[in-house]
Amino acid sequence: MRSIRLFLIAATLAVLTLFNFVAALQGYSSSLKEANKLFDQHLRQTAELIARLYAGHPIKSLDDESTLAYQVWRGQELLASFGIEHTQPITDFYPGFGHANFDGYRWRTLVYYDQDHRNWIITAERTDLRYQLAESVISHAILPILLSIPLAGLLIWLIISHGLKPLRMLSQQLKNKQADDLSPVVLPELKSELQQVSQSINALMSRLEVALNREKHFTADAAHELRTPISALKIQLHNLEEDISPDNEAFQQLRAGVDRIQHLVEQLLSLYRSTPEQLAHNFCRINLHQLAQEVIAELHDKFEGKQQIAELAGQPCMIEGDPFALTTLLQNLLSNASKYTPAGGHILVTVNAEENTVYLKVEDSGPGIAPEDYDKIFKRFQRLNNKPDGSTTPGCGLGLTIVRNIADLHRARIEIERSCFESGTAFIVIFTRTED
Amino acid sequence: MFLNSVVLILQEILEAALLISILLVLSRQLQLSARWFATGMILGGIGAFILSVNLATISEWLDYAGQEILIAGIMIAVLGLLTLIGLYSTSALWASRHSLPYLMSICVALALSREGAEIVIYLGGILNHQESVQPTFTGAGIGAGIGLSAGVLLYFGLLSLPARWIFCTCILLLALIGGTMASQATLLLTQVDWVAYSPVLWDSSIWLPEDSIPGHLLYALVGYEATPSLFQAIAYGIGFLLVSISATLGYLNHFRSRRKNTGEK
Repeated sequence: MRSIRLFLIAATLAVLTLFNFVAALQGYSSSLKEANKLFDQHLRQTAELIARLYAGHPIKSLDDESTLAYQVWRGQELLASFGIEHTQPITDFYPGFGHANFDGYRWRTLVYYDQDHRNWIITAERTDLRYQLAESVISHAILPILLSIPLAGLLIWLIISHGLKPLRMLSQQLKNKQADDLSPVVLPELKSELQQVSQSINALMSRLEVALNREKHFTADAAHELRTPISALKIQLHNLEEDISPDNEAFQQLRAGVDRIQHLVEQLLSLYRSTPEQLAHNFCRINLHQLAQEVIAELHDKFEGKQQIAELAGQPCMIEGDPFALTTLLQNLLSNASKYTPAGGHILVTVNAEENTVYLKVEDSGPGIAPEDYDKIFKRFQRLNNKPDGSTTPGCGLGLTIVRNIADLHRARIEIERSCFESGTAFIVIFTRTED
Repeated sequence: MFLNSVVLILQEILEAALLISILLVLSRQLQLSARWFATGMILGGIGAFILSVNLATISEWLDYAGQEILIAGIMIAVLGLLTLIGLYSTSALWASRHSLPYLMSICVALALSREGAEIVIYLGGILNHQESVQPTFTGAGIGAGIGLSAGVLLYFGLLSLPARWIFCTCILLLALIGGTMASQATLLLTQVDWVAYSPVLWDSSIWLPEDSIPGHLLYALVGYEATPSLFQAIAYGIGFLLVSISATLGYLNHFRSRRKNTGEK
């Protein structure tokens, strides 16, 4: 049952309809029995009336609109009749109620013997007319039950919708919460059934907030504390470089290891800084094209080191954003592109506007990413085996997680597709445009 | 007219509502899109209209046995579709699952055409008798209300069963409806002398008359008959076994292919 409201309305209405209608049918059967008793009583009263009134003079008629018929017999002589053309008795002369087929119809009959005048009085009524009359009266009584069902349905819908309003409000509040909003859920009027749910949700939120804060601060503090010893290590490495040959393999590996640790620590700090509470207050209007130009210039040495060609295309486009975060986003995307593109490869950055959006596209001529891996690459510490020999490119696996965090904070979405080069990947970050 | 109307409309609506409820639950269990339901309803409505308009002509076919033969044919076709639904819903093959919405749609369309045509003809005929219109339509409303309510409650009732029982219960109910289709088709073919008369097996009309509400409910759900003939009972058994055996075969096939895949790994 996908919707509680739909289930409650449909099931309640079905039960109400079923029981009401079955009760109406039972009422119909009972009423029909009672109506038959009344009709029979009418037959008897009519017979007794005819017996009393008849004193040798024929009675012309009871009532012009009566559905009853009668015959008065003395022996084999028909003394009087009403409602029947034929001169044969409607039924046999046995006192009491019965049924007879006569003149093409089915009749309910009563044979009454008047001992004083020795007359046989037969009163009769066509059963089809009886049913028609009874049915018309009873079905008029049932009709309101039938017509009340749509009205009952409407009322049930209103009542159930009103009853489920607190649940809907709770779900709406949870749905509208921002990713970083772990504040307690507050409902204007807390129903007893929802009290426990609300308390449990708020307790969970509180625990989650404490745990997340602890994790964030631990990461940030640890990264910050590691910066000083790493800087000391770098100085020692610089000093060591003067004493030993720079081609020494152990020395080269040591320097590469220290560089990796430094990169990891910087990325961990970037990850911490890209969290909502660190960035939300630094938004301003930024020319994304100009920012991209600055970052490309900043990373010029990196591209030159691998003889890569980095180009910028497009036009100046304004967006609302955090300059530091967007610089980090560009740095990570471009560093990634450079890292995965072989020496002599191409990197193309395009900033352009389309209707109400501004897009930043970073394309490389690297080996590319398989579509089934698109979701994986944004996970923390995730690196793909994308080298021809199955090995991974060195890195800490945090770059794209930071990119996604920053994009989320700017309410931008990220799309991945094949690049315009022979091989490679294109990362497209789509922002909402700010009027120039 | 009121009671006749209740009985006729209840019987037709109840049969269709129970079949649709079971198929909807089965489709939900198999995570199929419910679009087949709308298609089946629309096709069924069109089918009912076409059938009701042409039923007088059809009844003159085959030496005035056309109507009975056609209705029996529709019932046998529904039985065939239920057999395929039973087989495919338990099968592991993707192609089998893929064809299920089409089968369900046709099954609902055929059932609705048959039931709908009878309702249209009955209510259309009543319109000529002014004095009977009000009791007849009141009765039709009562009958339709009871039938639809029973369908809705069966749907929610099946969904409220423990998850592992829902599928088996749906297949069992489809097998019972399959038996009913076969039994009713045999009765119709007996009426036009296409199947020989056979002795009545029992008479339970005193205990549970067919025209009572429980009688109608049981007729629609398990094909209850107060005075079934021998051939009807045999046909019922065949219809029931066809659907249940096909579902079992589908399940065995599923089980075998799963075991094979596990073995290969």
